[in-house]
Amino acid sequence: MKWTGTTYGNAWMHKWLIRMLRHMDVRILYAFTSVFVIPVCLLLNPSAGIIYRFFRERMGYGRIKAALGTYTNHCLFGQVVIDKFSMYAGKKFHVEIDGQEYYQKLATRDESFIILSSHVGNYEIAGYTLNQDQKAMNALVFYGEKESVMANRAKLFAGTNVRMIPIRSDMGHLFEIDQALQRGEIVSMPADRIFGSQKKLSLPFMGEPADFPYGPFSIATMRGLSVLVLHVMKVKSRTYRIYVTPLDYDREAVRQEQIKQLATSYAEEVERIVKLYPTQWYNYFEFWNNEPICANNRRT
Amino acid sequence: MEELILELKKEIIKVLNLEDMTPEDIDSQAPLFGAGGLGLDSIDVLELIVLLEKHYGIRLANAAEGKKIFTNMENIARYVSENRKR
Repeated sequence: MKWTGTTYGNAWMHKWLIRMLRHMDVRILYAFTSVFVIPVCLLLNPSAGIIYRFFRERMGYGRIKAALGTYTNHCLFGQVVIDKFSMYAGKKFHVEIDGQEYYQKLATRDESFIILSSHVGNYEIAGYTLNQDQKAMNALVFYGEKESVMANRAKLFAGTNVRMIPIRSDMGHLFEIDQALQRGEIVSMPADRIFGSQKKLSLPFMGEPADFPYGPFSIATMRGLSVLVLHVMKVKSRTYRIYVTPLDYDREAVRQEQIKQLATSYAEEVERIVKLYPTQWYNYFEFWNNEPICANNRRT
Repeated sequence: MEELILELKKEIIKVLNLEDMTPEDIDSQAPLFGAGGLGLDSIDVLELIVLLEKHYGIRLANAAEGKKIFTNMENIARYVSENRKR
């Protein structure tokens, strides 16, 4: 099963959800989705089987714990989607930051740097809320996302130092990335899903080889840039915790080795966070391949 | 021009890690993208943009310009010879 990369629902639904969230306590909507929506989703959606297998095979859970984990995972996913729209409705969340000093150190320098995110937790809710006074943040986003979601994002970030770079088929996004890096800005991109370029790296992850996109690591090492990984995890109904982790690689090594080192560090950090918050793993597709591990699967 | 094409082929082999290829294997007029050519991918475009900038001081403005240039090796070499700053 392939990831389609869009938020569920149409523009009309999104508009009404935002209107409702302006006046309603999000916890009411959390309860409603957990009782009435998630059980139906679990019955109809293949994501239930995918997440159940994730808990059984990757986390080593027993059947009952895996089933409960699957339900919790879907409830939490529902909550982070509600939180996203709640943010579009103007509501604020309490955010705790672990490792802000790494961000500040890079943000005050003239050089550009890269922030890698993943589909663990809810990057969008707080990933852009770190202080961008010193540097503009350019976030690479999937172009196929619903227009209403893109419009809400644009509205939310209007007047801020955050810009969206949609991935386009004409490769225009690559020029925008290059120009942002030349201006000494931040470029943020997810590094756990293969989209746009089909080049990939197979890396050990949670006990089995898994494919990661080649592009983000290639972009970072092209100019020898510093790299941070950001995870935004839901810890309470109105509280998120941001984990900022610097990734290191040998800038004197040959390029392919740099890419491999960086990608391996990234996979290790994602694994660390997934083990801390297993119910916030939101990659609803077959993430693990069963092919032998190699350093760089070109032309796949 | 032939010298520049050879130099570009060597650099492209290096930055794109085409370790199983030699400059002679690359047809100067073959398309860089898609089947029947070098088979480059979108992420390789960024490598080429950075290569032109680092080695020849050329900064490409947009995707439309890139599309015109990154068609084959001969075209890249022609653009480099006309616009290089170093």
